[in-house]
Amino acid sequence: MILYLFSIVLLALIAPILLSYIKATKMVLLFKRPISVFQGYRNFAKLMHKETIISEETSAITTYAPFLVLSPLIVTMFFLPPIVHGGYYVSFVDAFTITGLISLSTFFLMLLGLDSASAFGGIGSSREAFISALVEPAMVLTLFSISLMAGNLGMGQAGVNLAEHFPKEHMASFLFAGISFFILLIAENGRIPIDNPETHLELTMVHEAMILDLSGVYLAIIETAASIKFVIFASLFASLFIPFGIEFSAPIAILIFIAKLFLIATLVAFLEVNTAKLRLFKIPNLLGLAIVFAFLSLITFYVLGA
Amino acid sequence: MVDFLIGLFLASLIVALFTTRLYKLFLWYSINSLMLGMLALVIGKNIDDDAMIITGIITIIVKAIGIPYILKNLSQKFHFIRQITPEIKVQYAIMLIPAILVFTFYLSAPITSMINTNANYVAISISSLFLSLLLMIEHKDVASKIIGFLSIENSLFLLGISATNGMPMLVELGIFFDLLMAIVVINLLFHKEEMKI
Repeated sequence: MILYLFSIVLLALIAPILLSYIKATKMVLLFKRPISVFQGYRNFAKLMHKETIISEETSAITTYAPFLVLSPLIVTMFFLPPIVHGGYYVSFVDAFTITGLISLSTFFLMLLGLDSASAFGGIGSSREAFISALVEPAMVLTLFSISLMAGNLGMGQAGVNLAEHFPKEHMASFLFAGISFFILLIAENGRIPIDNPETHLELTMVHEAMILDLSGVYLAIIETAASIKFVIFASLFASLFIPFGIEFSAPIAILIFIAKLFLIATLVAFLEVNTAKLRLFKIPNLLGLAIVFAFLSLITFYVLGA
Repeated sequence: MVDFLIGLFLASLIVALFTTRLYKLFLWYSINSLMLGMLALVIGKNIDDDAMIITGIITIIVKAIGIPYILKNLSQKFHFIRQITPEIKVQYAIMLIPAILVFTFYLSAPITSMINTNANYVAISISSLFLSLLLMIEHKDVASKIIGFLSIENSLFLLGISATNGMPMLVELGIFFDLLMAIVVINLLFHKEEMKI
């Protein structure tokens, strides 16, 4: 039980470091002087000291929506597969619950964007609705197919089963599900082929457009929510699609898990440097690919059993 | 391991169906052939067949490195348009590709009941045959039609190595020679294409 709580706190603490690490890796690859990996904490401390200004046009939603963006993600962190052998985990939470909690958070983020009554917020919310409507079917299909391979519909139990018995006989459908989930990881977190988190250019921004009017504590909460969302996706990827290293004793298993998270962050950084951002109406091509792979993984498992 | 490689084979073909750039299409074809060559190496090592290992090495050299390189050089020489938009819209392709896969997986069920070794691979190679046919259908320019033709050849080769435990080596070498001749004929087609522009 203590290890369970410790792992959740650890994931929450490592979340800002991962995002800063992606940024630093990109800067190294572009021959710039990299930022510190603790930049996420510095930004958080800075924003906590700043004054919070709320626009006069907004309703009460702006005051409580940031907390409702953060809280479903924190609840999701309790449902993740365990990172150490024999650790406590919640076994009954299935693909629908995890997808639903993440989309609940997205829903309040969209509401927050609309509430500020600026043109940018509306643009950002409509784009986010467009993207997340395409992400959800693929995500449900992918998580279902991986949990069928693991032999249990609960995500936590699926992670344990995969670590104990790796599905060598279902390697093809495992690979398709992995490709699909990696595309979803990029799409849901607004990384480069879908959305560029670093610019404030009105033609391209999605996530930044919704939070343009926020400041101070509220902005800090939303930034924390973004980093926690990334760590949720990365740890789901690490425990479901790279299910190795859990059988060692607790400290080594935790170190291996953190190494896997940083490996995923490095992959994302390399991808961001090497690809250009897609035009908004080209995004269905990429997400369509994710849906095709998710479906393919399911039917390869059912029909061929491969 | 064989399942993993066959999965990557099908995955690279599906990604090629969504590509809109010519050089990226060559890259995906090259990865597709590389997976095929490695598959031949792995299966050849498993059933201890020297001929299949040689075939795998030749596949990697000719198809994964040679043909994409030649095609890229030719398309640079003749100034091809590098933007190839599929004629079939993406939203229809999303429905069409899973439909083809389901259809061919069930279509190959009677065949797989007759073959006792590696029954799944027959289904995947027939479905990749249909997918490369789709690749030929959805493009209008000659270079991507050629990639579709070469992918059909790849999936037939996959059928050969996975279903029959290896064809005679002479047949496969004959196919490689045919392929190189086809590239020479394609060169003539490219000349014609350039005259049209």
